[in-house]
This record gives sequence, C-alpha cells and structure tokens, in this order.
Amino acid sequence: MSLVDLPRYEFARPATLDETCAMLAEREAKREKTVLLAGGTDFMVQVSQGKLASDPLPLVVDIGRLDELRGVRLDGSRLRIGAAVTYLELQRDPIVREYAPLVAQMTHDIGGPTIQARGTLGGNLATASPAGDGIAAIAAYDPIIEVQSVRGRRRIPMAELQTGYKATTRAGDELIVAIELPLPAHGAAWCWRKVGTRLAQAISKVALGAVAEVSGGKVGRIGLAIASVGPTTSLLPRTRALVTATPLANLTAATVDAVVAEDVSPIDDVRSTREYRVHTAKAVVRGFLRELGAPV
Amino acid sequence: MKVALKVNGVQRHVDMAPLARLLDALRGPLGLTGTKEGCGEGECGSCAVFLDGVPVNACLVPIGQCDGCEVVTVEGLAAAGHLAPLQACMAEHGGAQCGICTPGMLIAAEALLRRNPDPTPVEVRTAIAGNLCRCTGYERIVQSVLHAAHELRSTEKGAAE
Ligand SMILES: Cc1cc2nc3c(=O)[nH]c(=O)nc-3n(C[C@H](O)[C@H](O)[C@H](O)COP(=O)(O)OP(=O)(O)OC[C@H]3O[C@@H](n4cnc5c(N)ncnc54)[C@H](O)[C@@H]3O)c2cc1C
Ligand code: FES
Ligand code: FES
Repeated sequence: MSLVDLPRYEFARPATLDETCAMLAEREAKREKTVLLAGGTDFMVQVSQGKLASDPLPLVVDIGRLDELRGVRLDGSRLRIGAAVTYLELQRDPIVREYAPLVAQMTHDIGGPTIQARGTLGGNLATASPAGDGIAAIAAYDPIIEVQSVRGRRRIPMAELQTGYKATTRAGDELIVAIELPLPAHGAAWCWRKVGTRLAQAISKVALGAVAEVSGGKVGRIGLAIASVGPTTSLLPRTRALVTATPLANLTAATVDAVVAEDVSPIDDVRSTREYRVHTAKAVVRGFLRELGAPV
Repeated sequence: MKVALKVNGVQRHVDMAPLARLLDALRGPLGLTGTKEGCGEGECGSCAVFLDGVPVNACLVPIGQCDGCEVVTVEGLAAAGHLAPLQACMAEHGGAQCGICTPGMLIAAEALLRRNPDPTPVEVRTAIAGNLCRCTGYERIVQSVLHAAHELRSTEKGAAE
C-alpha cells in the first residue's frame, strides 16, 4: 500500500453515529475491514508510508463530522470533549482553557499549526501510540473514554484502556465518542512538559501531563502521565501513591527518583535512549513537585 | 466521487477517487500549481492551504472530505494581478529563494496576520513552525513577515484616518 493506491479506497460518510455503528457491525460480521477517518493526520501518513495492510482494501469511513463526536461541554465538575474535536478547536475553546488548561497547553505542542487544525484526541487515542501527547495530557485527569457500538455505549476508565504497545481494550467495531474529564478543583496546579528534538513537529522523547490539588502542605488528588517511557502511556501509580502519602516537605529527590524509576520502562530507539528517558522522566516529575512546594 | 468546493472564491467541481489528496486535486484538475509537494507526509508545510479558514496540509486531506468546503491557495492571496503586501515583502526582503516552501510560508503567515496583526518575532516563528525551508535559514522569512505586518498596519491606519 502506498500513495499510488490511495485512489483505490472506497469511502463512506454516514450521517449519524447510529448509522456508523450499524455499518461497522455489519462489516465486522462479514469480516470485512474498515478504517475510520477523523483528521487523517495519522491515517494519510500510514497510507503514504505503506504501513497499512491493503489486501483486502479497507473501507474508509469518515467520522469527522458526526455531531455526537463534536463539541465541548461542561457538566458540573465533568468536562466532556467530543472525540472529533480538533486540537485547534481545543486551543481556542474558552471552557477548555479555563477548566482544563493542561489540555489547551498540550495542543500547542502537537506537530505544527496545520496538524493542530486537523488532528483529534479520538485519533490520538485510537492510534494509541505510547508517544501520544494528547493521551498523556488527558490521562493526568484520569478520564473515562466513552465508546459506542451496536451493543451500546461503554465507559472505559483510562487505566483500563491500554494493554500493550498500540493495543487497547476497545473492540474493533467500537467508536470513540467522547472523553470525559473529572475535573480537579478549579485553580488546581497543573503542568505540561514536552521534551523533543525541537519544539514543533517532533515526537516526544518524554512528555509529562500533571494535575494536583494541594492543601496544607499535602497533596490530595494527583494525576501524572508520561508519554514515550514504556509500551503504553505511563500513569505512574507508585509515584502517585508516594506523593499522596507523604507531606510535600518530607519528599526527597532520592525517594521520588526511586519510585519514578520503578514506574517507567523506556527503551532505546531512534528518538532517544532508555537512560536519557529515565533521567528526564525523573527531572520533569520533580520539576512539577517543586512547583507544588516539595524540596526536591 | 463528485466533489463541489469553492476554490479562491470560485465554485469548482472535481470528479476524483474519494481518497485522492486535496493536493492532487489542486495541482491536477484544478490547475493550481502554486501549492507545492515537499514530503507528502505532513512534515514540511509546503502544501499548506486554507480549508474553511484554517491552514491545513493539503497532502493529508482526502478530497472526499472537502465536499462543500472552501479552499484558499497561494493563488488566492494575490488580488487582481498584484502581489499581496505579504507576498511582495517576501520577495523584497529575501524571504524566498528557491521558492518551494514559499506558498506554504505565505499561507502560514497570512493565517497569523489575520488573527494577530502585530506579532512578535517569536510569534512569527511559532506560526511557521510546521513549515520547513532549506534555503533561507528562516531569519529573512521572519523579517519579511514582520515587514508585511508593519506595512499592513500602516495602510490600515492610513485608511482609518
Ligand atoms: C507532521 C505530524 C506531526 C505530528 N505530531 C504529533 C505530536 O506532536 N504529538 C502527537 O501525539 N501526535 C502527533 N502526530 C500524530 C497525529 O497528528 C495525532 O495522533 C492525531 O491526534 C491523530 O488524530 P486524527 O484525527 O488526525 O487521526 P486519523 O488519522 O483520522 O485517525 C487515526 C486512527 O484513529 C482511528 N480513529 C480516529 N478517530 C477515531 C474515533 N473517534 N474512534 C475510533 N477510532 C478512531 C482511525 O481509524 C485511524 O486508525 C503528528 C502527525 C503528523 C503527520
Ligand atoms: S507536502 Fe504536505 S506537508 Fe510536506
Ligand atoms: S526558499 Fe527554498 S525551501 Fe525555502
């Protein structure tokens, strides 16, 4: 499969979510392959690089315009982001900027402006790359990923979504509809820190999304997620446990570094080394904890 | 697939395979070769065009998603045979050498100036961060955009007075 094959694909634009689910189920039953298309920033590259199985050729189904996948809504302390909302729309959305500033900040670090104009969180989650910046940013909020199929709607907690490298618990005929963020207290501390070869158009060597509620020198709720330090987005469970169990003033660099090292399992690859990634993961986590007042 | 789209203000129609790229539609049947292909993978920005008002890489957009959309290419920036100030500044201040990146740079810069008529050098660099140039070293591109911004602001001020 390569660029010259692009014209061979068949293409469908169902008008509603139900129609899309029915189409996916029908094709799944007949064991026919289907690929969903949102912003196309992963799909079109895969096609042109010849990374997509083409025998038989999948049907491409455009979901970018489905109403149910569009828009951002605040319901009390929950922020619901449609899976097909683009990074640019998130960047400009006053509700996202106010209530989930970490998500708004992350969008500036996705590719460049033209990628931000098309790429979506649904596509980032479905591609499920451990380097996905969108995933790392939303994972700090411990979100629920809402998926839908003809069998109905299912809510997958972030911690139960990824099972391995680019593998998830989402079934082949399940569409990602929305991401629901349980928001921390308004004004909670947050940080987004992406480390790559350059500021734009670079895949993360390490990227940290973090939110925390602090009161009286102690951390109540904390969310931490790092991209590119393992086969899946790392949710740093041991680091979270240490930080909520210890008054900030009692944290030390050595204890933090030790748990972070246990929480991540990066590899050497073309973009970076295991050693650099472990070092940087520790550094970005300590950087955030320092902002919270820990002497690390 | 028959696709109707407005290109540089004119209603046009193409009949192409749905997954053919907007880039191929522009450079092929639509006859607009100003938009360039560098990488074909979203990395270089030389294929940038406005799609419904926002700059996108035409190499990553299937034509099947463009039905009913509005596209503005580099050809659409010039008014009636005259270069737009942004284009003129790019030529005058050395922002264009071989010219392959120039159409994409112009789209990215135009997008910036529409939202921010008085950008800082850093804001210009951020706006063109998705556009690669092999020739100029970027400095002259940034200077060209800043000159154009200045010129546009003076014209506007003049018009208001
Ligand atoms: C130049 C360039 C730079 C990039 N930079 C970054 C970066 O800095 N950080 C980063 O994380 N990514 C980056 N990416 C990757 C890409 O832009 C993101 O992963 C983006 O979020 C993909 O979204 P999309 O809507 O374009 O996906 P698409 O290409 O439309 O789809 C990708 C995959 O997801 C599936 N899919 C899409 N939406 C859904 C849904 N709602 N439900 C189920 N499946 C779905 C599709 O079937 C497809 O398999 C970059 C890509 C390019 C080309
Ligand atoms: S040709 Fe489209 S980004 Fe390079
Ligand atoms: S002028 Fe040659 S690539 Fe920019």
